[in-house]
Order: sequence, then structure tokens, then C-alpha cells
Amino acid sequence: MRKKRWVPWVLVAPALLIIVLTTIYPLVVALYFSFHKYKLRKPPQFAITIGEGGLHIDWSLLSLDNYALAISDSRFINSLQVTFWFTVISVALSVIIGLFIAVVVQKGGRLHTLTKVLLIFPFAVSPALKGYSWRFMLNENYGIYDLLIDQLIVAPANAVLSVINALPLAQIPLISESIVWLGDKFWALFMLAMSETWGWAPLIALMFVGALGSIDEQIYEAARIDGANRLQIFFRVTLPLLRPVILIVTMLKTIFSLKMFDQVVTMTGGGPVRATQTINYYIHQIGFVRSLDIGYASAMSYILVIILTICAALYVSLVLNRD
Amino acid sequence: MNLSAAGSQAQESSYARHAVRALETAALLLIIAFIALPIFWLAITAVKPQEKAYSTTLIFSPTLVNFEIIFSDDSVTINEGTNRERGEVGRNMFPNVINSVIVSGATILIAIPLATLAAYAFSRYQFLGNSVLLIWILTTQFIPAIVVAIPFFTLFRTVEVFDRPLLGSQLGLIIVNMSIVLPYAIWMIKGFVDALPGEIEEAAFVDGCNDFQILFYISLPLIRPGVLVASVFAFIMSWNEFLFALIIGREMRTMQVALMTTSGARGIMWEQMAAAGLVVMVPIFFLAMFIRKNVVDGLTMGAVK
Repeated sequence: MRKKRWVPWVLVAPALLIIVLTTIYPLVVALYFSFHKYKLRKPPQFAITIGEGGLHIDWSLLSLDNYALAISDSRFINSLQVTFWFTVISVALSVIIGLFIAVVVQKGGRLHTLTKVLLIFPFAVSPALKGYSWRFMLNENYGIYDLLIDQLIVAPANAVLSVINALPLAQIPLISESIVWLGDKFWALFMLAMSETWGWAPLIALMFVGALGSIDEQIYEAARIDGANRLQIFFRVTLPLLRPVILIVTMLKTIFSLKMFDQVVTMTGGGPVRATQTINYYIHQIGFVRSLDIGYASAMSYILVIILTICAALYVSLVLNRD
Repeated sequence: MNLSAAGSQAQESSYARHAVRALETAALLLIIAFIALPIFWLAITAVKPQEKAYSTTLIFSPTLVNFEIIFSDDSVTINEGTNRERGEVGRNMFPNVINSVIVSGATILIAIPLATLAAYAFSRYQFLGNSVLLIWILTTQFIPAIVVAIPFFTLFRTVEVFDRPLLGSQLGLIIVNMSIVLPYAIWMIKGFVDALPGEIEEAAFVDGCNDFQILFYISLPLIRPGVLVASVFAFIMSWNEFLFALIIGREMRTMQVALMTTSGARGIMWEQMAAAGLVVMVPIFFLAMFIRKNVVDGLTMGAVK
């Protein structure tokens, strides 16, 4: 329709320039840093210098030491493991609970509509605040979650257990009512994932609600006429039809989970004993809090970039193949 | 299937329907409790007097003293003593609110016009590499913020604007915020332009309008609601942003980082944290309700439709 070839470039250029400056520039510089010994306490010696003879490269200043350090650093390996488990738990819970919420909420009805409106609420709560509020609510002395878990889950479970124990069958130890949630290695990581699930499951539900709404009612009708019950319809009809959306959402949430940082700072501080130190958190500790080692922090963040690049490639191929 | 089996199945399904409906209501109530409890509890704690904040009680007389403490330079009297005597530093969070408003406001003021122009070009023109560029913009959201923060931290330490280092300044934070806000804004606005039928623009073209007249007089007014939604979304993103605010913003402290200053000599003052949390959350609450229908498109850059 319109012929002037330069017009779109003029429109795109300012935004593109800023995106390049704020993403490509740091990616290149961080890669460059990662090959150097560079601590904040003393001025760094860079390999590339511009002197009188033009560009000068001192190859002896470049090394893979920071990457070698990462591979042998048990705390970095620990952060990889923590991030892996955090991602697995938070993604699985977010997607499954999100799917559950979507299926329950989908139909019309006053309570359904109210719940649908509520789904947006966690989006308004910043991750940093989420971390603090969960930490408060999980407190073993005055936390509301601690109270509810003890009253609604642990106490009934123990009641059942004591009945079983009264029978001459087996003696099962009762569950402790005084678990310090954020003081226990497993529970701290689990609760961190739960706080993430609280924020994301409702949003994922919203994503699924849209996808569920676009499924033709006639397909369900046909399944019902063929005598399928609710569970069969869900597993044999709904789930397969939702598969592309589930895959995309899972991949997207995986990427967000791999970058977990905010709540670690405000909820657990990486503890107890590094049990919740995610990659991002450990990099921040090394680069800005403890050894102020920018070179090492850059190398570790590049390892994270590589992991995320693989995920991003998967994600993009999923999105493109869908259309 | 014979007749008697069909009859019993019909009867069974009527019982089953009641059971399913009851289960469904129970599930809905459970979901509501799951979502609302943390927000409700934060709100409750913010208006609790200090001696009731560290308990799960619901019986208390509501007070605004916590807000008074976080917004005052002076000591505030709480039960007999002042907060300073009790070892709680009253820190005025008003400057932090201003910081958050300035940073988020300036971020969208810069990002949204640029994103609008780019989104329009991506939607309406075919140009060399446009789809590749668009996918590339999509992937920039996967760059971990820490990798952006490290080089900008070292750069901003040495760069001064108006005799003030960029590190720890609002401007520095606004610059790095572009890396997260611009890609989302472009994709979100592009969605709105895509949805706009091209016929009006065609007609304007036939009438002799040039590209820019069409853009500014025809298309922009039509996508204004979409641009508004994207602005709100971008505002929420930069308002809730934490990693950059911590590393690049530093002592300047947006509200997200200021939340951390509610810890005093005796650990975190939960009632103050809750009050500050409400200040952070409530405005975003209304904004989120306003763009409720577009949040999914925004978060997924339109991948889930």
C-alpha cells in the first residue's frame, strides 16, 4: 500500500536503539568481564586498551579461570541444584493448580465470576512484598499459615495417626506441630516455591480460562453423547486440546522460575544454610555483597544466560509452531 | 445400552450432579481463600496496634499509627513510649514513594511513545527482517536481569550526570528499566494495532495522506485505549521491579527496596512492613483491575490466545 521504504525504519529505530543499548551492550560487556580477573575493590586491568598504537589486546589478561572456578565451586553447584528444584516444584504446582482453578472457575455463576475477578489480585503484589508477607505468615510463633497448617492439616492427620497407632498394627510417629518452616532446608525451599505458586497459579489459570473458552462446546457434547464421564472428558478431551497452551505456559513459567531472585532476598535470605540460594541470588551475593567479584559474577550469569537461551529457543519454537 | 441401565444412570447422574455442585462450591471457596488470605492478612496487620501484630488474633481496635510511623520523621507515640525510645527508627518513606512514582512514571513516558511507533511499524509495514526482529525482541525478556545489572553497575559508577553519579540515581534506574519495559510494551501495543482494521488507513491513503499523517491523525487516536493499557502494564512492571532497584537504584531506594528498611533492632517490624506493603500494593491493585482483561496478553506477549 505505502511505498516509502524508510518510514518503518524511522519508526522502529529509536526503540530498537534503546533495546540494543540496554540488552546487547550489557550482554557483550558481561561476556568480556567474565574472561577477566575483576574485583570491585581494585581498578581492573582490561585486555583491550586503546593506546597510541591504536587498539591493543593483551591476551595474557584473558582467561577462563572464572568459568573453571564456577565448575569447582560447590556453592555455585548448590545454587544450580536449588534453582532446579525450585523450578520443578514451582512450575509443577503453578501449572497444576492453575489448571485446576481454570477448570473450576470456567463455568458461569456468581461465585465463579467473583473468583475470576480475584485471579488478578496476586499480580498486583510485588515479588518483594510477596516474600515478606509469606515470611510473616509462616512465622512459627505468630504466623497465620503456621496456625492454619497446624490446625487444618497436621492436627487431623495426627488424629488419624493416633487411631491407627491404637490398633495393634504399626506405630507411626506423629507429625511435629512445631516445624519452623523457613528454618528447615526442605520446607524453606518448598514454601519459597509455594509463594511463587500463589503469585502465578491464578495468572496461569487466567491463561487457561481463555484457552478453555475457545474450545467448541460441540466437542464436549459429542463426548457426552458417547457416554464419557466428567473425568474422561477432562483427560481425553480437554487436556489434549489444551496441550499446546499448557506447553507454552509451562515453558514460560520455567523461564521465570529460573530467574528467581526477589523473594529469596525478602523471604529466606538464601537460608537456611544456602538451601534457598538460587543462581541469581548467589551471583548477587558474589558480585555485590560478599567478594564483589564482578568477573566471577559475570561468568556465572553467562552460564545462566546459556541455560535460558536453550529454554528461550524451545519457547519460541513452541510459539511459532502453534500458528 | 438397555433401558433399565439408562434409567439408573440418569438417576445416578442427578445425585452426582448435586455432589459435583457441592464439590465445586467447596473448591471455589478454597480458591478464594488461597488467593485472598495473604492480601487480607497484610491489610489486617497494617491496621493492627503493635502489641496485636505479633499474633493471629482478629480482635483489636484498628489504628493508623503504623502509617504515621512510616511517614514521619519524628517519633510517634505508641503505647506510653515513643517509637524511638522503643528502638524503632521512624523512617519517613515519603521520599521512597516519590522515587517510585518518578522512576515508574518517567519509564513509561519514555518507553511508551517509542514502543508505540515501533509497534505500529511492526504491525503495518513489511520491511527487511521485521519478523526476525520481532522474535528477537520477544527473546530479550529471557535475558536475566542480573546480566544487565552487572555492566550497568560498573558503568554507572563512573558516569556522572549533572555532577551526580548515575549509580543510585533515578535516571540510572530509568535507563535499565527500559530493557524490561520496552519489549513488553512493543508486543502489547502491536497486538492492539493488529486488531485495528486497515481499511480506514487505506481510505486516508487514497485521500492523499502521507504515512505520518495517517499514523498521527488516523491510527494513533484509534489505538489510544490500547496504548493506555500498555502504559498501565509498563507502570506496574517498573513499580514492582526489585533487582535493578536494589543493584542500580541502591541508596536512592524505590518503595520495593524501602520495604527492607522496616527491619529494626528487633528484627522486622511486621506492622510497619504491612503498612508500607499496603502503600506499595493498593495503587497497583486498582491499576491491575483496570487492565484485568489484558494482563494475560501482556505477560505472554500474546503467545497464549
